[in-house]
Amino acid sequence: MVYSVERKGKYREDTFLHSGMIQKIHTPVSVTLFYNHRVRQVTPTNIVWNGREYDIIRIGLHHTYRIGRTLFHIFSVETDALFFKLVYDTDSLHWILEEIADGEPN
Amino acid sequence: MENQTKAVSFNPKTPTVLHIDLNSCFATIEQQANPKLRGKPIAVAAYDSPRGCILAPSKEAKLLGIKVGMRVSEGKILCRNLIILTPDPWKYRTIHMRLKELLLHYSNVVIPKSIDEFIVDIEGYPAEHMGAVEVAKEIKERIRKEIGEWLTVSIGIAPNRYLAKIGAGLHKPDGLDVIDAESFSAIYKSLELTDLCGIKVGNASRLQNGGIHSVWDMYSAPIWQMKAAFHSIVGYYWWMRLHGWEIDDVESSRKTYGNSYALPDTRVTPQALAPILMKLVEKTGARLRKAGYVARGVHLAIVYRDHSFWHKGKSIEEDIFDSRDIYKHAYALLEQSPERKPVANIAISCFHLSTAKGVQQGLFEDREKKGRVVEAIDAINERWGAFVITPAMMMGMGDKIIDRISFGGIKELEESILHS
Repeated sequence: MVYSVERKGKYREDTFLHSGMIQKIHTPVSVTLFYNHRVRQVTPTNIVWNGREYDIIRIGLHHTYRIGRTLFHIFSVETDALFFKLVYDTDSLHWILEEIADGEPN
Repeated sequence: MENQTKAVSFNPKTPTVLHIDLNSCFATIEQQANPKLRGKPIAVAAYDSPRGCILAPSKEAKLLGIKVGMRVSEGKILCRNLIILTPDPWKYRTIHMRLKELLLHYSNVVIPKSIDEFIVDIEGYPAEHMGAVEVAKEIKERIRKEIGEWLTVSIGIAPNRYLAKIGAGLHKPDGLDVIDAESFSAIYKSLELTDLCGIKVGNASRLQNGGIHSVWDMYSAPIWQMKAAFHSIVGYYWWMRLHGWEIDDVESSRKTYGNSYALPDTRVTPQALAPILMKLVEKTGARLRKAGYVARGVHLAIVYRDHSFWHKGKSIEEDIFDSRDIYKHAYALLEQSPERKPVANIAISCFHLSTAKGVQQGLFEDREKKGRVVEAIDAINERWGAFVITPAMMMGMGDKIIDRISFGGIKELEESILHS
């Protein structure tokens, strides 16, 4: 599946898209996070974005950076059809969807 | 008899130095982060516009002939389906630090040579009993399991750092090669002079003029012939390297701090370049001060779009640390540039560094007060993010001069992560 972008930068489901897109988005997103205390591991398991639910099937990379003193956790995750880059702001405790891609040539 | 002499002259020590090279570093890390890119030709480029310079092609892209330094447009000609990504430095820094952490399990002598290269010497550590080859195999396996299943490294093992690096370059990706007293002759005989790091066209022609035409000739040549070929002591260093003796274990100290920027748009005059220069100076100044240095020299280099080059340095009689002072000198240099033509790249650096040990008062200005102001600005920028407080000249610069990773030195890398 591929998504199209409206002119004002808002993504809309079902309209889609040019294939082969890496799109910077920077929009709020709902994320379910699972913490396993036995292995001390945090795993985002699904995303609700634009009224649609996506199950995360794989985490490619988890890394962090700081802007000033604010720590951000970045999860690069894969769903069936798309790649999402999710950013967790540890000051506001908010999630931002930073980027989506379908892995096709741009 | 001659062969026996050669064998003895190569360092007979059991090799304990490992050179670890993360294959197609930036591109592989992007494929690790985004599994949908795996197995596809991708390239990380400075910019994703047609003129953007390709910094790291993936192994799939390399097979199609795409090389570092090509323009994005050239890459797209070779492969219409090439996927172009722009750099994401914090991903690469994170992998670098995780790799370093893993390597520290085997030795305390873990030396990062660049963002994607490490040297590990296991001599004298418990890992030595495993043997370097077994250590290398375990490192490869642990990288896949603990850092990322898509990441591969090529590892060279040798009695010295130089040959370990050569070994790491013999088979890519995922290679493992040993250069020691047993294997060196077969390997040397398979290499061209220019396959050696540090031997390019200039050095190769010096060697050929001295009667040395191959790596095996270079190894076989006596010290006097090597010194004669290079016209200096450098010939002796090369003799030592190729015979497996260590001469590259000297850590160089930092001599300069600098930043550069490749301009995507056309700017000609010093006035048009001034905001870019200011931002470069702000970055350089902040790094200089954070590391606790002051400078007594400023250098400016310009590459024009017609590929011509101009540069000039200036020594200063007093210590400078304030970005405004660095800018003043850098702008004066910029105004001295003789050409007014489109600039492709501009670089600023500070040199003659010394450790900041209290501020020496000037005759006409309160340098202590200036030091306090600069310290306060740095503290605010550190708390709220770089460039929260900036000179007015930088207004409208936005994200120009974005975060980058240099291919060479990574002296600040660990420091920047530890402080973050």
